[in-house]
This record gives sequence, C-alpha cells and structure tokens, in this order.
Amino acid sequence: MTRDITLSQAVNEAIAEEMRRDETVILIGEDVAEAGTPFKVLSGLVEEFGTDRVIDTPIAEPGFMGIAVGAAMTGLRPIVDLMFGDFLYLVMDQLCNQAAKTHYMSGGKLNVPLVLRTNLGATRRSAAQHSQSLHALVAHIPGLKVAMPSSAYEAKGLLKAAIRDDNPVVIFEDKLMYQDKAPVPEEEYLLPLGEAAILREGPEVTLIGTSSMRQVCEKAAEILEADGIGAEVVDPRTLVPLDEGTILGSVRKTSRAIVVDEGHQNFGVTAEIAARISEKAFYYLDAPVIRMGAMDVPVPFSPALEDLTVPTPEGVAANARALVRGVPVHAP
Amino acid sequence: MPHEVRMPQLGMVQDSGVIVAWLKRNGDPVTAGDPIFEVETDKATMEVAAATDGYLSGVKAAEGDDVPVGDLIAMIVEAEGDVETASTGAPLAEPEDVAVVEATRRPDPESEKQPPPAPLERAMPKSVASGRVLASPKARRIATERGIDLHQLRTQGVAEPIHVADLDAAFAVGGNSLLSAVVDPTVFDEILDRSRTADRTKLLAAFAAGAWRATFDVSSVSVAIKDLDGRREIVANPDQGGAGDPEDPVLTLFDLCGTRINGYVPMGGGVTLCVARSAAGYGLLLAFAESRLALSGAVALVEEIAARVENPLLQLL
Repeated sequence: MTRDITLSQAVNEAIAEEMRRDETVILIGEDVAEAGTPFKVLSGLVEEFGTDRVIDTPIAEPGFMGIAVGAAMTGLRPIVDLMFGDFLYLVMDQLCNQAAKTHYMSGGKLNVPLVLRTNLGATRRSAAQHSQSLHALVAHIPGLKVAMPSSAYEAKGLLKAAIRDDNPVVIFEDKLMYQDKAPVPEEEYLLPLGEAAILREGPEVTLIGTSSMRQVCEKAAEILEADGIGAEVVDPRTLVPLDEGTILGSVRKTSRAIVVDEGHQNFGVTAEIAARISEKAFYYLDAPVIRMGAMDVPVPFSPALEDLTVPTPEGVAANARALVRGVPVHAP
Repeated sequence: MPHEVRMPQLGMVQDSGVIVAWLKRNGDPVTAGDPIFEVETDKATMEVAAATDGYLSGVKAAEGDDVPVGDLIAMIVEAEGDVETASTGAPLAEPEDVAVVEATRRPDPESEKQPPPAPLERAMPKSVASGRVLASPKARRIATERGIDLHQLRTQGVAEPIHVADLDAAFAVGGNSLLSAVVDPTVFDEILDRSRTADRTKLLAAFAAGAWRATFDVSSVSVAIKDLDGRREIVANPDQGGAGDPEDPVLTLFDLCGTRINGYVPMGGGVTLCVARSAAGYGLLLAFAESRLALSGAVALVEEIAARVENPLLQLL
C-alpha cells in the first residue's frame, strides 16, 4: 500500500523510524529541535525523542560537524543537518579530512557512520550563497558516499539506507522539492546505495538526470514523445557509488546520451558521467555525449537571470532532438 | 560495328553525370559487362559496364568532367587497329561556374510560396571534406564490421559527421548491389529430368540455405520463396528437410526458370536471389545492400550457391 506524502514528510518518517529502531541514532544541527529547520522537515521529532537525541547547536558548522564525527567514531550514528548545501565549505576539513579518511587511516579500526543531510538547488531566489549545488565537491573525495534523491520515495529509502551504512554518507535534497508529493509505501523499505533506476524506457536517447533534474528529464521525454522521439530516463540515485552498469546498458541501447545535473557544468558531475560513458560505451555512441549542468556563474539574485542558469525541459528536448536527427550540438 | 558509349541516365531527374574515374584506358580491350568508368550522379557513384566486346576508343571525357546525359563519351570498336586516340581536353568545371549557375537559376514559384522548414541544418564546413571522414564511433564500428568504405560515402555526398542511419540511407539511395553468375546446367538438369518427385524451386531453396549456412556459420536459415505473381512462402531450413519453425528469412528466392525474365530486384532491403535458365545455363543474380552484407560475404555466398547448382551432391556434404 502506498500513500502520497511530501518529500519533507518522507525525510521526517525516515529519521523517526530509524531513531525508534536504533537508539544510537541522533540528530544534530542548527534549529533542528525547536524550529524544526527552516523547511519544517523535522517538526515533531524533538517532542518524541527529546533534546538528548535532537540537539540544537549554535551557528557554528565546523563545531557541530566535528562533534558529530567524534560521536560517530565512538559509537553513535549522528544525522547532521546542514541548513544549506552552501555551508559545505565550512565543514570541509571535518568531512573530507576527518570523516572520509578515518576508517582508512585507522587501518579499519574506526568507522564513521554519520549522515550529513543537506540540500541543493537554485531558482528559490536565495542569491549566490544559498543556491549552490555542491555535490560534486564531496563526490570527488574517496571515502564519502553521495546520495541524490529525486522524489519522496527515494528520499525515504535512501536516507534509511544511509543511516544504516557504516560509512559517512552525504545526502542532498533539492530544497524546491520539499513540498512535492509522491507515492511512498506504508511498509518499511530501503533503497540500496548504488542502484540507479530506469524511470521511463525509450529506444533513441538516454536522459540521465540527478535529483530534480530527473523531473526535468521526464518532462523533456514527454515533449520528445510528442515529436515521435523515444527517450529513456535514468536516475542514478547515488553518485558514489555510481551504478555504471545501468547507465552504460541504457546508452549502449540508445547510442545517445544527455547528462543533466544542477551542479556547475565545468569539472562537474555531468563531466564525470559523460566521461565514463565515452570511455566505456564509445563504440556504441552515434553522437557525442552532451552535458547539461548549471551555468558556470554565481547564481544570480535576479529571478529572470537565475532561471536562465538551470537546465530546462525545453533545453534538454532541443538537444535530444538534435542528437536523434544527426545534427551536431557542437560544430565538428 | 562500333558501339557508342554514352552518358547513361541513372536517376529520374539527372541531367548530367561526373566521370569519377576511368577503369579502362583508351585502347584497352573490354569484354561485355566489364566496368569501364565510374559516374557520380547527385545521389550515388555507379559503375558503367561495357555493352559489347571490343576495344575502348576515342575517349572524349576526362575524369572530373561533368557530361550531359546522352552525350557520346567513347566508342567500343571491334578491332584493335580501329582504335582512335583519346581527345579529352575538356577542362574541369570550375566551382565558381557552378555557383553562378545556382545563383542565376530562376526561383521555383511553388517553393517560394512554401519555404521548407529546415531550422536544423547539418553544419559541414568545406574544410572537413579532406582528410579523415567524420563519423560517429558507432557508425565507424558498424562500417568496419560491414566492410563499408566511409570515403565512398563522402564521394556520394553524405553529410558528415556520418551516423548509423546514413549508412543504411546511403546504400538504400544507390539501390542494391548486384552479383551475377552463370552455372553449367548439365548435372542439375539431368537430376530434374530423371526424378519424378524433385521440385526445382525447393531444391534451389535448399541450395541457397545450405550455402548461407556454410558461408555465415549459422544454425537456423529460413528462406522466403516468392514468384512474380506475388505468392510467398517461408520455409525453415529447406536444406534440412524444412525442420523447425520459419523465422525471418535471410533471403528471398525467385525461381524464374521457365519464364523469359532474367532477374528481378524488388524495392527495399533484404537479400534477393534470382535463378533463371537460359541457353548458357543457370543464371544466378544476387541483389543485396552492402550496408548489410559485405561484398566479400556476398561473393562467397554466390560461389557456394553456384557450386551446389553445378553439382547438387555438394549439398549432401
């Protein structure tokens, strides 16, 4: 049985279920207890689990991130709430130098089973310091897993799997999707980290979309269907580990691929996935792999300009149409 | 009697053809059927064969010349002593001339009324037309697998970069490739004469299937048997008594023996084998698209079929 709930409710359910199941799971961050975060994702948790397990901190990201890494090393399973993905810059040492490397440098004696929950996504009129999609930064660091849920269903299943994982996992929720509803099972379920989903099948072009770009790809596929072009939509769900098999299998079938992600295009997630396709499915490609990331500029505050920086269904469909018709997107 | 070699009309709206290459030189002996020159039309490059035996004489067009359809290009004379010298002084058509013709051509009023919607044009800079042919990795791989020369597609005017769809389209436009052979009829005729039950068409289907199996090393071979009245039957593994369920046929057989028709190549893809009986023996005609069946494979297939018609006992081996 399923019911439609918002992504926000799905995250809340995942945390509550795991905190009930395992008393070592704690929640720590700014405004997580009394305010329930600016996005109201965590409402009600402090009432059920108390301030010992739902811990409000001062505005000091490096401090509470360090506390969480230490707590994880010594037996707890902290869920760290980082209010905006843009604040990742503040916790890079704790996350990338400590959490990511401790298991390796201790010869396997120590684990850091923490989850860093944060967000990404522009077009919320929040300007350049509260609109970034910085998942590529952490996906670059060995030792960190990175999850990118694209719906309420994925948000709950991936978060529960992340909490149970013995490695540090960074999970990015799109802050524009918190109120989006999707069918979510009433029964408990986990979504394994490292399994992509084929959300729509099609013979002519593969659209690979992460997080909210999955919706962009699905809308593009609908536009293309009206043109008589069959697009396949693949959601990687996690960047690390990346389910190469599903992606490559789809591209070998369609021989064309567009990779869509909301991080900056230069040196980004689109580049990594496109490169793997080019390396490993080269002889199946009938067209260059096209990357579509966010424009390589600070996210503008002007709404008109901000909207131009993010891939759109129409843009994805236009590129897909060109590929299928044999028109080079970039001049040879 | 000398035979005239004229520029053939190879397309419905073709008014001239460019001589891409002479395959015989002035004074060379030629046999009927020998390709003597290659001509490029607006759609494809094709070989033109000599219509009679003799010596190529009085060649009037050089490689690169754009010759109007019907114009005299050369003669084929009976005796070597009658060969006249070549007179190929015609200059190459300058690209500027062509451009002037294009620019001064009167616009077609119909097409002016309704300009074709073509917002997505293939960008092919002139500079890429030299050196490496631009093709997608998949198109290049498939071309290699099928023995297709990408440079040939360039000479046919296929826009680059070449994609997989272009491989099929290029060969579909140029029509099928044809291979023909004539086979000694003695043994096969005798078997057909002496047997009251032998069915010539079924035996030919068995030869074709056996040849296909031997050439391409496959386990199941279905053959479509068609006639000119449109009847069609698919036989599974005719070389093995028709065992198994019919699948997509690998080739279509037309048994034209007993008709005056020598060969028939239907529109569309696929491999077609026509068998006709003439005074010279059994004539085999194989039509195929080189985008799907490489020339080397087609030659091997015709050799295998011919060997079986010549000596049906080979089918048992």
